[in-house]
Amino acid sequence: MSQFFALRKVCSVGALCLSLAMSALPASAATLVVAATKTPGGFDGDALKPNTQNVVVQVYEGLTKYGYKKDNKTGRMLLDPGTILPHLAAKWTASPDGKTYTFELRKGVKSPFGNELTSADVVWGWEKSQAQKRTGAFIAKAAGVTKVEAVDRYNVSFTLDAASSIFLPALTLYTPSLYDSTEVKKYVTAEDPWALKWIDQNTAGFGAYHLQTLKSGEEAVFIANPNYFAGKPYYDRVVYKEVPNAGTRFTLMRTGQVQWVEELNLKQIAELKKDKRVKVESDEGSGHASVRMNPTLKPFDNPLLRQAISYATDYKAINGAVFEGIGSQARSIVPPIIPGADVKTWQFNTNLVKARQLLKEAGYADGVDITLEYAAIFWFEEQLAIQMKDQLAKAGIRVNLQKITDANMRSRTAPNKRDLPFFTFMDNPIVLDPVYALYLNAHSEGASNRNNYANPEFDKLVDAARIEQDPKKRLDLVNKAQTLHINDATWIMTMYPGSHEAMPPCMTGYVWQPDYHERWRELSCK
Amino acid sequence: MWGQLVRFLLRRLAVSLPLVVGVVFVTFMLVRIGGGDPVALLAGPTASAQEHAAIRKDLGLDKTLVTQFGIYMTKAARGDLGQSWLSSKQVIDEIGKRALVTLELLLWGVAIGALIGIPLGARAAARRGSFFDQVVRAVSLAGFSIPTYWLGLIAILLFFYALGWSPAPMGRLDATLITPPRITGSYFLDALLIGQWEVARSALSQLLLPVMTVAVVACAPIMKHTRAIAAEIVDSEFIRFARSTGLGERRIRGMVLRNSLVPVLTFVGTEIVGLLGTSSLIELIFSWGGIGQWGLQSILNGDFAAIQGYVLFAALLSVVVFIIIDAANYLLEPRGRERL
Repeated sequence: MSQFFALRKVCSVGALCLSLAMSALPASAATLVVAATKTPGGFDGDALKPNTQNVVVQVYEGLTKYGYKKDNKTGRMLLDPGTILPHLAAKWTASPDGKTYTFELRKGVKSPFGNELTSADVVWGWEKSQAQKRTGAFIAKAAGVTKVEAVDRYNVSFTLDAASSIFLPALTLYTPSLYDSTEVKKYVTAEDPWALKWIDQNTAGFGAYHLQTLKSGEEAVFIANPNYFAGKPYYDRVVYKEVPNAGTRFTLMRTGQVQWVEELNLKQIAELKKDKRVKVESDEGSGHASVRMNPTLKPFDNPLLRQAISYATDYKAINGAVFEGIGSQARSIVPPIIPGADVKTWQFNTNLVKARQLLKEAGYADGVDITLEYAAIFWFEEQLAIQMKDQLAKAGIRVNLQKITDANMRSRTAPNKRDLPFFTFMDNPIVLDPVYALYLNAHSEGASNRNNYANPEFDKLVDAARIEQDPKKRLDLVNKAQTLHINDATWIMTMYPGSHEAMPPCMTGYVWQPDYHERWRELSCK
Repeated sequence: MWGQLVRFLLRRLAVSLPLVVGVVFVTFMLVRIGGGDPVALLAGPTASAQEHAAIRKDLGLDKTLVTQFGIYMTKAARGDLGQSWLSSKQVIDEIGKRALVTLELLLWGVAIGALIGIPLGARAAARRGSFFDQVVRAVSLAGFSIPTYWLGLIAILLFFYALGWSPAPMGRLDATLITPPRITGSYFLDALLIGQWEVARSALSQLLLPVMTVAVVACAPIMKHTRAIAAEIVDSEFIRFARSTGLGERRIRGMVLRNSLVPVLTFVGTEIVGLLGTSSLIELIFSWGGIGQWGLQSILNGDFAAIQGYVLFAALLSVVVFIIIDAANYLLEPRGRERL
């Protein structure tokens, strides 16, 4: 009996010590608080609404993933665009002609609902994307995927219309998503055969997190998937809090109230770099802050005028005035981080004399009046527009600035519309492949070809590069396409502002991703 | 008297409803003419022209604007304000959820603004030209001139960042606490009602800074207006007569206050309605999540149904507030009754 009491005493002391030790941990040790620009409008990766992409990447993970490499200068891990590794797939095999891939799924990958990932889930997700004809369908089209079939429970085959270098990187993406189709099918109705209504407001993925609650306009709370195949992440709860004002987000990061903050401008980033309470990690990024001219609309159908505008732009001044001098000048629509970016053919170094001469040749000896439209989707738009107005005035190009709503900008630059003559925008290819970047931004069928650039010769080069197997020949086609695009001068390529993320000094594990969204599962603050 | 009051209010309501329809009509047209094309946003990058046309038909956008407006008003009369593109939720539900959040902020703010502004304005009117009067005038001028947005940011900088007195401007409750079950929609009141003291304390501390910002914005015009009205009454013949008959200052102050009440009350009502727009910015800065913040986000994102719902709510709120003011005026001002 006395032994029993002694044991009980030991246990009690042990429990007390444990509870004291636990209480000594910071209260927020397992909670990541993100100051977000808004709560997500929805959770369907195929129907992107504001901030959908920011969170679906935490829920829906791909069959493949990019490899990481260590930066010897900083000691940080960086994404390696040239290495694709298995992720939710254990391995894959490709047919000799590169048109058929068979993936063997990793066994034991489970959703928070306890269902295991099978080939049926992969097929269901791809079929859903094809039926919706949105983001996932565009990715499938760009990668040339024509058929996805279940071979058996753990094997799934992809058939392509031609061998594609885009295909494996495309499988790193959150869409076409790998849903727990067993769970999702519970919400299928005759009118809604893909349960889109349910998917829009709920999550059912095999990734590290899933949605617990959503209070639109206030916060979305995510909790760690208890069945996640790669183990429990450091943060078991993520509060994705809507803080719409950038100044408030900045202050919250400075005071340590949040561990992650979205969309700060470079002025704020420069301030935070000086603050010892905050760590800023900077990467080259792939987002290109550009001003685009629609060559199908007057007066931008005149290539000489477009070239004159490109020559009249003072890129150095833009970097200093808008991007705090830390942007890097863009010289191609293929971002420098992607192997195959060609900056040698760039020709529009600032030259006012040449700009005036070209303007004269274009038939605008007395100058020209144009309107530059901009919105507030990206923090730099207004400042960039003001700089453009000032600089082009020096060459006799009179710019009238017009601010439009974000919705107006998005809808008027969307496929089947594209009626803005001259506007600011930023796009970043989420597949780090030169052909994908060219296809996305400038192919006549590209989803982000917002200025309606349509050059059949360019399309031909990109289409040929998509199916070219020989890396040398492919690179040659990519370079030719870039040269053609530069010469056509429909983009004023200003800056790559880079990616700059602020976080507490203790935070480790952050690696820049092509979609510009941190992966919560990789972060820790021990 | 009550029967006459009800008839009067019904008449006011009948006059106000066409006004509401007019406001909604103008918003409906403006949004459709300049708000972007939702079809282009909803259709994907691979959608064909036929698919675009099908989405347009589904949304009813293939019909004339007048027909679309007719359909909207018919549905609105049944309580169906459409679905928000941004949140996929019914607009009526969104309004129901957020209206009280904003009203809590506004009512506290305006009440505090009025409690400070009315006595100060009345006192300044009674001591015109004095140092106190000069200070009141300077303060109300400053309150008028300071942009709301800037005021909110300065309040955060001072009370949260520099002094650390206020909690983080991250909404209505500390992120680590669980929200109380909804009874009134106010976290503070709901937590009080069920005895969750920690939640009530957090909700109250979150309320303080945004409420004080609204109070400052509301106080300045109330103070200025009260001073002007009270000054006019102090100069009026009946007050001079009262003084000449030897009535005490206390009685006279009571007469001034009673006679100032009706116009001041009317003004306070207009402040509530006027501050609904201003509160959008305050909500944005303090991440409040009310109807103002929602309305602003809807405008930026071209969420047609939500914008219309927001404007309809604002118009109806104006009508309700003015009807309440009319009723109060009716009860407070006997002369008005005779004119009915």
